[in-house]
Amino acid sequence: MEVQTTRFGPIHITADDLIRFPEGLPGFADCRDWVLLADGKNAALAWLQSVERPDVAFAVVSPRRHVAGYRLHVARQELEPLEFDDLRSARVLAIVGRNARSITLNLKAPVVLNLDRRLGRQVIANGDWSVQHELPSSVAARKKIA
Amino acid sequence: MLVLSRQRDESIIIGDNIVVTIVDIRGDKVRLGIQAPTEIPVHRREVFEAIQRENMQASRVQPNELGELKEIPPARGLPKTR
Repeated sequence: MEVQTTRFGPIHITADDLIRFPEGLPGFADCRDWVLLADGKNAALAWLQSVERPDVAFAVVSPRRHVAGYRLHVARQELEPLEFDDLRSARVLAIVGRNARSITLNLKAPVVLNLDRRLGRQVIANGDWSVQHELPSSVAARKKIA
Repeated sequence: MLVLSRQRDESIIIGDNIVVTIVDIRGDKVRLGIQAPTEIPVHRREVFEAIQRENMQASRVQPNELGELKEIPPARGLPKTR
């Protein structure tokens, strides 16, 4: 099948690529079907693209690559809709944003995927994380990762 | 808006399967216990609204705004953008 996207043009995917968010995401309750796309130009990134809305896509990254010590703690209830058989198959992604100063990560509400069941949910993390965790400038960030 | 008075350990029931209990009252703080089916998300309103706002903004981010994010190996096996 083909997914229309404003950022990347039409993208060919298979039904197996679809990820269902039964509740949508806050602000996008009607967007239930998504697909995770690797960014062809920027290896740091993937895009969570809405299948229903070509203009809606979230840049996502693995938060622990950028924020050492980030560990997701959530109430058990937050994960129940994801039907995990084994929590080790959970994949945690942080949505990337931008504010006036820098690139930001939403560490308060990461997206958790169960790729075995093709289910996703944006959860709310316990603890004092920000929805706009500012990343250090690119030079500093590279040093930290290296 | 419906306004009800409740004391500690008293509850209200919404529909036939959501129960909100006053667990504790201390000064200007009230602790609520909420029993709801898992398909009904329950959130602190200000947290939920902050996430909603952030999602709205983040959904408009374009690939060319993220040039500073680099040098992380690509995920394997995903369909790719051009």
